[in-house]
Amino acid sequence: MTQAAAAAPSGSPPGRPVIEMVDLGMTYPNGKVALSDVTVRIPAGDFVFLVGPSGAGKSTFIRLVVREQVPTSGWVAVEGRDLSRLRRSQVPAIRRRIGVVFQDFRLLPSKTVFENVAFALEVTGASGAEIRRRVPRLLSLVGLQEHAQHLPNQLSGGEQQRVAIARALVHAPAILIADEPTGNLDPVTSWEILQLLIQINAMGTTVLMATHNQEIVNAMRRRVLALERGMLVRDESSAVYERQY
Amino acid sequence: MRFFRFIGFAVVRAWQGFWRNAMMSLATTATVVLMLVLLSGLMIVLGGLDSGLRFIESRVAVTARLVDDLTAEQIDVLVAETRAQPGVESVDYVSPEAALERLRQFYADLGLTLNFGGANITLYGSVEVGLTTPSASGSVAAFLEERAEVVRITTRQGDYDKLVGIIDTIRLAGLAAIGLVGLTVLFMIVNTIRIAVYARASEIEIMRLVGASDAFIRWPFILEGILCGLIGAGVTLLLVAFIWDPIQPVMVGVFQMPTAVTVDFLTTLSGVVLGVGLGVGALGSWISVRSNLAASA
Repeated sequence: MTQAAAAAPSGSPPGRPVIEMVDLGMTYPNGKVALSDVTVRIPAGDFVFLVGPSGAGKSTFIRLVVREQVPTSGWVAVEGRDLSRLRRSQVPAIRRRIGVVFQDFRLLPSKTVFENVAFALEVTGASGAEIRRRVPRLLSLVGLQEHAQHLPNQLSGGEQQRVAIARALVHAPAILIADEPTGNLDPVTSWEILQLLIQINAMGTTVLMATHNQEIVNAMRRRVLALERGMLVRDESSAVYERQY
Repeated sequence: MRFFRFIGFAVVRAWQGFWRNAMMSLATTATVVLMLVLLSGLMIVLGGLDSGLRFIESRVAVTARLVDDLTAEQIDVLVAETRAQPGVESVDYVSPEAALERLRQFYADLGLTLNFGGANITLYGSVEVGLTTPSASGSVAAFLEERAEVVRITTRQGDYDKLVGIIDTIRLAGLAAIGLVGLTVLFMIVNTIRIAVYARASEIEIMRLVGASDAFIRWPFILEGILCGLIGAGVTLLLVAFIWDPIQPVMVGVFQMPTAVTVDFLTTLSGVVLGVGLGVGALGSWISVRSNLAASA
């Protein structure tokens, strides 16, 4: 198996929607409207930026896609499956189709780089042989094979984010969601992480990246979804981000 | 294979969790030991008293002292009619000569010699009735009292009722005490697991995000609670094994009769201690996991 094959998604033909939202609304019990009437279709293989000011609804958007929450109106589907209709026991299988990375990396500080990535396989019942086969390939993909036995606090911010990306790719997901992945990184490292995401996208994984980084969005000229006060105010291909906040 | 990997994963994580939060885990285990020692003590005391009860039941339940000079036919009729009464298991006629021999033997067993000082003593003949159930004592005694062949009735119903009363009181008080300690143990286990859940909140979050099933997330915590219960049970059984021989003379001294030192009793005691330890550990951790992990989607 090649490095690309190790991370390649399965079961999502290019062009078919991997994320679909129709008339999606989310109102919290305290009455706060986080999302309202959002209709979005993201085809397989797309690279999409999700932009907007703080409180615009980006985090809620992501939580609904990973089924941490269910919408109060409308529906959201991943690979054609309506997440609201999933039984609790079906949720883990859907989450293995979605990799997620965060601004704060969320690595386990007491585990080595290898163990952090292996953990995601271990907790889903993978065999030791499978873990020993797959983890080195993922570390090689993100350029960290030399750091396998290091602890997270021995790595730079960019390297920690690479570990988080390797962990997110461990189940060869169809979608990679990156929530402000460059928020804690310097500009050079941010570009390195973006290059890695582009590489992963080129392998067929759909990438949805929430960001405030105007420079990156404008340089990439990819599809941009802009949220404001819970509403989708812009959905353009090859767009730029005119940050007003 | 996947199932065995799951079991291995859950056991290893439970063991790591137990020692990661060692102070709280050991405090919880200590309360489990306290509860199980109380339970074992109650079982041992009740076992001794039950043994005493059976000892009384095994003795003659009703004795009818007979008038003198009954003929053999009269005695046979009385024995036959008594045997026909409900609840009667056995009826034995004890002649005056046999009664005298029994008294002589009783003295001999005590290392003494029966001596009437030269007087010519004749004891009463009697009928000794064994019962299938001590509760039949009243009706059998009433039947015998009506008979002209009978002078006086003696029963051990009073002793029996007294012992049953003592056993019921001890059982009730013991179970109440164990219930209270059991609630404390449950509270401790619930809190220990709650702390463990909070301590591993980031791991749980990652497990959910990467698609771990509920079983992979929950069972290590449930096993951690079971571990507290089982270690507590193991320590309790070691304590019981250690003090078993020294307390035997005390038991015999207290109950004045053979105690329930049997393999069956020890097997039952071990089974109950292990079962209660496992059960309370599982219940406490299950309650905690249900309340602390249920909210997550």
